[in-house]
Amino acid sequence: MALPHIFEVAWPDPAKLGVDSKSAAILLNEARETFAGHLGVKSEEISFLGEPSLGFHLGISGLIGAQNRLVFSNIDRMEVFAISEKFSSFQLKASTAGQIDYADLRESDVATLQLCNRETGTIQLSRPNNCAGLFVDATGSGTRIKLPDNWSTALWDSTSWAGPSGLGILAISKSAKWQNPLPHLDSRINPGPTSLPLIVASALAIDSWVADEKNLAAKIAAINSEIRSYLSLKIPDCDLAPGGADHLLSASFLYVNAEQLVTVLADKGFAVDSGSACSAVNMQPSHVLAALGTLTQGNIRLTIHHGTSFEDVQKFLQVLEETIAELRA
Amino acid sequence: METLNCLGMRCPLPVIALAKELSTKVIGSQITLLSDDPASEPDLKAWARMTGNSVVSLGANSFEVTKLAD
Repeated sequence: MALPHIFEVAWPDPAKLGVDSKSAAILLNEARETFAGHLGVKSEEISFLGEPSLGFHLGISGLIGAQNRLVFSNIDRMEVFAISEKFSSFQLKASTAGQIDYADLRESDVATLQLCNRETGTIQLSRPNNCAGLFVDATGSGTRIKLPDNWSTALWDSTSWAGPSGLGILAISKSAKWQNPLPHLDSRINPGPTSLPLIVASALAIDSWVADEKNLAAKIAAINSEIRSYLSLKIPDCDLAPGGADHLLSASFLYVNAEQLVTVLADKGFAVDSGSACSAVNMQPSHVLAALGTLTQGNIRLTIHHGTSFEDVQKFLQVLEETIAELRA
Repeated sequence: METLNCLGMRCPLPVIALAKELSTKVIGSQITLLSDDPASEPDLKAWARMTGNSVVSLGANSFEVTKLAD
């Protein structure tokens, strides 16, 4: 279904009566089933969020009662840091490989688990067990990594499967002790309504992305490996953040101004992000890079998409090498 | 000990200034680097690891740098 057509058929409120609304409700239910299948949760556990980052508050604060402590990590997203200020909390420190040691977790703790860091691609291998609640941040991993069996709440971002931005998917396990932390009068989880056209478009995107991933995962892995090997061998004073996920890569270059690097690369047709202080709105370096001990200056973050080709990458690496040499001169 | 004042400089300038200054020094030389850039703390540690030199944070925007490698 093409996007303009989705907007034509998905405009009515699925909660109302009437033929059009019934059709919209069918579309919503189909989308819910699609997500449930790909994300490994029950369809009735799924809520859609028009602001994906609100899912951190809903997913974490909803699990914490007066007797619980929030245990999070220093490579969690800043949204989690903000929530930790409201509660009794404890911050775990990642190793330089990005791994978290959950050994000291108490049974009354609510823990966070980031399956994959969306800045660096660092995959978390350890799993928190024996805790009162577990919030899983799947915004960096999408469908690539399975939820642990003891999940309580989990959050995804539609952009993970090349779906439209501005759509989060929150799952609340039927077995979780969860209370809505937002002001509410009924059982709705978020005030809503979330855009049905975006939900339908994202459901189509996840179907197509998952099918493509089966064929393209090996290419993405090979591209990641080629970039890592090129950077290590050809560009001196390059610091690679600990990775793991094939679609993400973060590299920093000593003596390079990231703002200049990102700008020159953009001028030459390559869109990359950066975790360096000079490219951040608050002028602070990425807390993730700092926590991992990775160099924060001259940082670029790469996302390898399904459509990325070896030719694109070879051209990019050549331009990157020349640009870094020019900026260091 | 010599002091290299990089107060007010933003990343990556303090690390560039440090590397330039150290290039004229013999192994074993020490410099006190002053920097109030928020990236200096993580970046000086990463620089030391990558280049084989030593950096010790003295607090209050002050770092003791020892040249251990060319």
